[in-house]
Amino acid sequence: MLGFCSLNPKKSIAMRKKAGVVVLSSDDEDDNPSLSSNRSYAKSKSKPLVTRTNPRPAKKPRLSGSRSRSRFCKESSNVNEIGVSFEDFDDLLNGFKVSAGSGRIGTNELWVDKYKPCSLEELAVHKKKVEEIKTWFEKRLRTKDDSSNHVLVITGQAGVGKSATIHVIASHLGARLYEWNTPTPTIWQEHVHNCNSGVRYTSKLDEFENFIDRIRKYGLITPSFTGESRSSIILVIDDLPVTNGRTAFERLQNCLLLLVRSVRIPTAIVVTECEKADSGDYTPRSFEELQSSLENAGACKVAFNPITNNSIKKTLLRICRQEQCSLTAEQIDLLAKASGGDIRHAITSLQLVCMKPDRMLNLPSSNSSSNFPKENADELSASGSGFSMQFGRDETLSLFHALGKFLHNKRETENVTGMDQDAFSVLGKFSRLPFKMDAPEMVLCQAHGQARPVADFLHENVLEFISEEAMDDASAVASYLGDADLLFASFRGILTRYNEAENVLQSAAASVAVRGVLFGNSHPLSSRWHAIRRPKLWQVEQSAMRNKIELVKNRVAYNGSSLSDVSVIATELAPALKWLGYRSSRGIESRDVSMQGNETEDDSLASLDDEECEISDDDEIEDW
Amino acid sequence: MLWVDKYRPKTLDQVIVHQDIALNLKKLVTEQDCPHLLFYGPSGSGKKTLIMALLRQVFGPGAEKVKVENRNWKIDAGSRTIDLELTTLSSANHVELSPSDVGFQDRYIVQEIIKEMAKNRPIDTKGKRGYKVLVLNEVDKLSREAQHSLRRTMEKYSTSCRLILCCNSSSKVIEAIRSRCLNVRINAPTEEQIVKVLEFIGKKEGLQLPSGFAARIAEKSNRSLRRAILSFETCRVQQLRSIMPLINEYPFTSNQAIPPMDWEEYVSEIASDIMKEQSPKRLFQVRGKLYELLTNCIPPEIVLKRLLYELLKRLDAELKHEICHWAAYYTSSLVMLKLYLLPLIEVSLYSMSAVKFHGPVISKLPLKLIIFLQEHRMRLGQKAIFHLEAFVAKFMSIYKGFLITTFG
Repeated sequence: MLGFCSLNPKKSIAMRKKAGVVVLSSDDEDDNPSLSSNRSYAKSKSKPLVTRTNPRPAKKPRLSGSRSRSRFCKESSNVNEIGVSFEDFDDLLNGFKVSAGSGRIGTNELWVDKYKPCSLEELAVHKKKVEEIKTWFEKRLRTKDDSSNHVLVITGQAGVGKSATIHVIASHLGARLYEWNTPTPTIWQEHVHNCNSGVRYTSKLDEFENFIDRIRKYGLITPSFTGESRSSIILVIDDLPVTNGRTAFERLQNCLLLLVRSVRIPTAIVVTECEKADSGDYTPRSFEELQSSLENAGACKVAFNPITNNSIKKTLLRICRQEQCSLTAEQIDLLAKASGGDIRHAITSLQLVCMKPDRMLNLPSSNSSSNFPKENADELSASGSGFSMQFGRDETLSLFHALGKFLHNKRETENVTGMDQDAFSVLGKFSRLPFKMDAPEMVLCQAHGQARPVADFLHENVLEFISEEAMDDASAVASYLGDADLLFASFRGILTRYNEAENVLQSAAASVAVRGVLFGNSHPLSSRWHAIRRPKLWQVEQSAMRNKIELVKNRVAYNGSSLSDVSVIATELAPALKWLGYRSSRGIESRDVSMQGNETEDDSLASLDDEECEISDDDEIEDW
Repeated sequence: MLWVDKYRPKTLDQVIVHQDIALNLKKLVTEQDCPHLLFYGPSGSGKKTLIMALLRQVFGPGAEKVKVENRNWKIDAGSRTIDLELTTLSSANHVELSPSDVGFQDRYIVQEIIKEMAKNRPIDTKGKRGYKVLVLNEVDKLSREAQHSLRRTMEKYSTSCRLILCCNSSSKVIEAIRSRCLNVRINAPTEEQIVKVLEFIGKKEGLQLPSGFAARIAEKSNRSLRRAILSFETCRVQQLRSIMPLINEYPFTSNQAIPPMDWEEYVSEIASDIMKEQSPKRLFQVRGKLYELLTNCIPPEIVLKRLLYELLKRLDAELKHEICHWAAYYTSSLVMLKLYLLPLIEVSLYSMSAVKFHGPVISKLPLKLIIFLQEHRMRLGQKAIFHLEAFVAKFMSIYKGFLITTFG
């Protein structure tokens, strides 16, 4: 309820004049009551029901299209909120803060906010996307057609300009934005304080539900509503409340579905996508589910792609011009590439680079960081393996990319490194040419590969990468994979107390598997096209497990009055019964089915892995 | 009903194969109190038959009235509750279960369930025994922890509960348990004994057995009585089907083929595949066939054993030794040998986790652990196929090298 913004421009400005301090610190005050000493605060808390009609503008009154927001939220004292972890950055900013007073006026804000796009032309998003959204809103705002849906779902990774687009379009269309921002989480001390002062805790999800409920039932009846026509209002739900666990997620989903079905105001729901390759965890999957369910309910979906290098470069150049800092085209190019399509990141990096010209400017060109030899920037970025500048995003690889690296086993054509004098001299049989890639462990790290699946994938696919003549290689590889499996399997479930140890063991096993594959395949084939398959092993395991359960269930049918071992049933009783033609017991029939029709049966049941199956079917590993 | 069940001796007096043991057991339970018992011996030697006959001897015909239940247990293990499902077979006086079915959670079964059952003493009606009997199958597959808790349970509740343990190999049962039980070794029946049983069944069924036929079945059965009776029955059906479908009984011929199990045929197919060509591509095809076997729950160690048998049949004598070595090597990695030497591993892992993970870790694995793994390759890797395939690959590699050196 606090997050709901009532935004009458006139009024809020008026309020700001009256109580500028209040507005400026409103962020802190709403969320950290314990720290607040504001008088009006206590009043609002004591009558929680009034908050909606509270004349004080709530926090973060983002005015559409105006830059006023930056005035509130990013004072220099808030600089550490940026959440950039590396210390250089903080150093620079601190240095910057000091110089700010004497230096350029008004520069002590982040460029990201300073150069927020304020016209359609300035948006770095692809024109067609912008146009699409614009027409969508236009249609909803102009015609009062109640039959069409009123919800737009915008998805995309972080920093591709989702919110910015909506803000710019809204201002372009002269509509006002009403926003839901997830309230800041309550910390424990706060909660204690609240309890003492008699305020009941409401979960953020509850607040969100209440908000949606109100919107659905009453529309936007706000105190600031001054009788203007309803059509010029756009509701934006920018960040969805964090849900933890299935039930909470379902609540959120239901709540949003209700919104989609019944809201009468044009609404945009902004969903930030996590990278799929990043994690096998639950969140991305649930967000996909959310999106598709919203779409089914009639919402219109627009997906934003990462911003292209050229657009980013254009924006960066524009900022450079306005800031009068001179960066070479090369450097800007580099920045754009390093950002990975995240324009917010690109601009922040630009600001960082421009901050201390003496120190940073030589960085992209000569690269003082010790990781790389002196090379020029082009080669650096072209090498593609480790673009880890100070301003780069962490490099990630997809699992399939990494697998391809391992399987293709690219090596230098001759041993050039001078290191060998120091290292052991290895017997000819065991020596291999150096890798044409980073250390396998590093690649694994970058691919976020979980150890077990990596080994399974390698096992499934490696045989095709071994030359037909080299049986010894195949045998070596298989034996290393066996070793890795032993490491994997050893202590499953037993060592839960030693999580750390298990992690190390997993990493070690993955290392054995990968290095075993790399070492064992001593005559790698010249690279040609290969598709990487999903391990069939998973499917086999599943159906074996099912068959076993079936056997166990029906074990009595095989053996009148005592329980037999599963292995005895599987190897002796069941085949004999089959041979004898006893078809009466269910267990045996299902066994037959599985003998003949494994594939058909499994497809339906392996639905969990289907996603990955598709990936593996589509993913083509070309030669890198 | 299969002949295996139909002609299973119901009482200790009817037993044909292990008559001496049966008589001893009978004397034991009639004259004295029944101690804890541990039956061990190879598969198909008659352990379960003896146990059931023994139960009947103790409790009377009521022991045969059993009901099968899929029971669910909720076990409170500190912070969480564990749900376990297990099939039990129970009569008024005994309960039979296979705790190893629930995998590594078997210790909960042993700790909680057995305790709970043992605590409930049966109602002591006149003349009846004041104890229940718990029959535990596959004790050798229990984890060490489970075995230890079993030991404590045995001591604590021995007045109200007798245990009958059943396993293939007593070496995997800890000493403490073995010493608390009366150990009963059930040998595999000799071929003569098997022939005797087959002739007994033939007489009961009214079949004419040609001379030498029963002996051939016995020979093929690998001294497993169950196997022998099953093939005997399949032979009869084969006979019926192939020659005269309408006539119910037909005399066996002495040189009649004895059909192997379907999976055995399949393994033999795999073996000839391997002998024909040795290449990664062929290895991949073999993998597909191995998958098929695993899907049908054929235990991997049995697959490997059979595969070795088939390969050795086709192999030159000079390679046999080496191949056997590798088969043993990879079998040992398939065999479940839970929790031996666990303390050693824990120590090693602790020291490992202290080492930060950088670069090639394998060099930093404590030497002891590496040696340990190489010597024992101990438990069933989760993925049996890795080891089966490693064996096949090794074989192909050796055999190919052999072919090249021999024939150039």
